[in-house]
Amino acid sequence: MRSFVFVALAVAWRGVHNAFTNPAILLPSLLFPLFFFTAFAGGLSRVSDVPGFDYPAGYTAFQFVFVFLQSAAFGGVFTGFAIARDFESGFARRLLLAAPRRTGIVAGYALVALVRWAATASVVTVVALLAGMDVLGDPAELAALVVLGLLVNVAAVLWAAGVAMRFRTLQAGPLMQVPVFLTLFLAPVYVPLALLDGWIHAIATVNPATFLLEAGRGLVAGEPVEVAAAFAVAFAAVALFTVWALRGLKSAESAG
Amino acid sequence: MQDEHGIQAEGLAREFKGGIRAVDGIDLQVAPGEIYGFLGPNGAGKSTTVHMLTTLLPPTAGTARVAGFDVVREGAQVRAAIGAALQEAALDPLLTGREHLRLQTALHGMGKAERKRRGEALLERVGLTQAADRKVQTYSGGMKRRLDLALALVHEPSILFLDEPTTGLDPQSRNALWTEVARLARDEGVTVFLTTQYLEEADVLADRVGIIDHGRLVAEGTPAALKAEIGRPSVEAIPADPSERDAVARTLERFGRPVPGSPKGVAVRLDGGEEALADVVRALDAEGLHLAHLQLHAPTLDDVFLAKTGRSLEGAGDELDTEAEPEPVPA
Repeated sequence: MRSFVFVALAVAWRGVHNAFTNPAILLPSLLFPLFFFTAFAGGLSRVSDVPGFDYPAGYTAFQFVFVFLQSAAFGGVFTGFAIARDFESGFARRLLLAAPRRTGIVAGYALVALVRWAATASVVTVVALLAGMDVLGDPAELAALVVLGLLVNVAAVLWAAGVAMRFRTLQAGPLMQVPVFLTLFLAPVYVPLALLDGWIHAIATVNPATFLLEAGRGLVAGEPVEVAAAFAVAFAAVALFTVWALRGLKSAESAG
Repeated sequence: MQDEHGIQAEGLAREFKGGIRAVDGIDLQVAPGEIYGFLGPNGAGKSTTVHMLTTLLPPTAGTARVAGFDVVREGAQVRAAIGAALQEAALDPLLTGREHLRLQTALHGMGKAERKRRGEALLERVGLTQAADRKVQTYSGGMKRRLDLALALVHEPSILFLDEPTTGLDPQSRNALWTEVARLARDEGVTVFLTTQYLEEADVLADRVGIIDHGRLVAEGTPAALKAEIGRPSVEAIPADPSERDAVARTLERFGRPVPGSPKGVAVRLDGGEEALADVVRALDAEGLHLAHLQLHAPTLDDVFLAKTGRSLEGAGDELDTEAEPEPVPA
């Protein structure tokens, strides 16, 4: 166990150090959510006037929750890019050669994703509050939202790590990103689920991301809904993608 | 630092997709404290063997034990006992040399004080103290190799794997690395498994040499013993007038079997050994043939390779070109 921890901390130190000393690494994961937030919460604010839009905390908070969870998911995917880059450049071999417990490498990358997302989420939250976001949830509900974000982040980085270690090239980037993008955007992003119609409503109803969004929005509004389902989805995703990532590690070990 | 086990492999093999057997059943015994040179051309299976012995790649057949541990079942223990500098120095261009050492020592679970002490000592040993706080992307090829060696040594391994450590280095950097490797084996008892395609490197450094070709070990022994197997020297003559090449060849063939020479020259392995050289000179003179160049070649490891595989070792030319030595004559 001790070797697992020191390997994870060493890998995490390097990833965090690189991210915070090289703006080119950190900025994309920071700018994308801010762009989405500005475009959606600002440009689409009249959506809240649509009959049937009954979210009590207002449209800024409605979009904040999406951007908050989207940044968690994409933060994980961006870390997956870094893993693929390490395999492509051969640096991952250094880690595989030195690490007594190689599962610690995966944990280290997950820690990198968490730290990077913590920075992104902080900036997004401050910007949303400055933009006048109403927060009606109590501290416990907001803490639950943060935990939900952490789980989404971990699930996403484990998914991306599994892809990165199977393909070991940056060319696998779209394979990490597109499924996450589709899952997120086939959820009720712009309006509540009840206002969606046709095929998008049918897909959004069964999309696991919908549970996360609905629960997150309920927590910010102080009217929790679907929280248990959302946490079940998040924990299931973490469990599923842990197995996926560890099998990816095995695949990378077999390939040398 | 010396271990009691060294390296043992039996029937070690690795087959890749498509049925390509990069390593085809290798048996190895490397004694503790020994420098073992693994010599072969590009694509012979040297790096694949190193990857299996360092737990980077699982074998598809056979077994191997490194420092007394099975490379498949006891990978963590193997990795704790070995250091490795692979063919391409795997460095992060965004980290400095000092930061690389911090990362490497942390990966091995060393405490903060120990990390600092060991890092500073190694930076000094490989001559990178001045450049320690520069990002690696500004380093030359030689500096990267030296850093890679330092990283391989952070946890004081008992066995060191060096995969073509001097490829692409200038002669000065190469000599410095040879000196350090020899010192590690001599003073610290480190077992060194060194792959190379450079004959001189194997000759100078290795206590014993294994020659690999097409994934198979074709010869093994001390450099002196392997060369003694070949025994006789060869002589090469380059005629002053290219039209006399055939005549020179006919004359030389009276003294031994032809062997490959330079494009303009003719070479034979001397049946009578080096004592026959005087007779060769007299015979050429008697035929009225004028030479631009005449050279006696003592047997080399390339001769051993040629004798075992029927062809000359690739890369020998690169080596000599780098060192600005005369045109190679793989007799």
